[in-house]
Amino acid sequence: MSDSPNLTNVNFDNMTQAQFEDYLPDLFAAAGRGKVSEDPRFAKFLAAHPDCMNLVRDLESIADTAKSLFEPSADLEPSDAVWSNIASKLKAEPQNLD
Amino acid sequence: MGPLSLLTTPPKPNPGLFKRNPPIAGEAEAIEAAKNGDADAFSKLYALHKRRVYTLCLRMLGNVSEAEDMTQDAFLHLFRKLGSFRGESAFSTWLHRLTVNLVLMHLRKKGLQLVSLEETINPSEDDAPKRDFGARDPALAGSVDRVTLERAVASLPPGYRMVFVLHDVEGFEHNEIATMLECSTGNSKSQLHKARLKLRELLRQPEQLPPLDTKREAAQ
Repeated sequence: MSDSPNLTNVNFDNMTQAQFEDYLPDLFAAAGRGKVSEDPRFAKFLAAHPDCMNLVRDLESIADTAKSLFEPSADLEPSDAVWSNIASKLKAEPQNLD
Repeated sequence: MGPLSLLTTPPKPNPGLFKRNPPIAGEAEAIEAAKNGDADAFSKLYALHKRRVYTLCLRMLGNVSEAEDMTQDAFLHLFRKLGSFRGESAFSTWLHRLTVNLVLMHLRKKGLQLVSLEETINPSEDDAPKRDFGARDPALAGSVDRVTLERAVASLPPGYRMVFVLHDVEGFEHNEIATMLECSTGNSKSQLHKARLKLRELLRQPEQLPPLDTKREAAQ
């Protein structure tokens, strides 16, 4: 896979499902914060291929939900022993070595 | 650029991560005070960031004991490197990058090749998501909830999990991930896509996902 394929001259309307899916990693990467499912360039293809539309929407949903994992749940935190170990090691070593 | 140099090179500003990592009240003052050796200020930084750093380690390592050890190492490293933080990026972005690189070095020391060479971050064919063109491919039923997704992420093969956590959870760009994992940006995009496909498979049968391991095993 090349790092940045030129997508501007690709005609998505007449692709097979397999061909479209080959482009998906780059389409998602190029979409950034936008959505492939809402991009007018793919509207005709996705309307004709509902399985592909389902796939794209599911992958977008997974990526959207993943953003919410950035804030950890309240019950996930290191044990008190971690800070105890850090504090005792800080006392033992010179301050700001670098 | 290797991971070691990333630990000592000030990161470039990343506007996207500034948006996801807005400054925390009192953080800037704590950073400056901690740079001057204020132990209470460093304790405050730990309190502010311990959960995010620990969760990042836990997701990357999949093991509570190792995650706690790496959290400890990350904050000790932070203490030593804090003087080099210049504020070009959000502090938490800088701290997370430092943590990611420590975890990757730890994995390499353990001899796990999954994060060292491009071809070896590809999971085996057995782990790869399966597509059967022509067969019915139903959509996921309902929306994805974060608890189920967390369990599914924990079930991913390590190579997929690494790229997914770094990109979709932590917000790193493909070029940054490529540098950290020493692979191409194309490979990072490809692995992320396969990770999402694999998650879709796993989320179709959430009842088969194992519970999350969030407890340290006894007698470590």
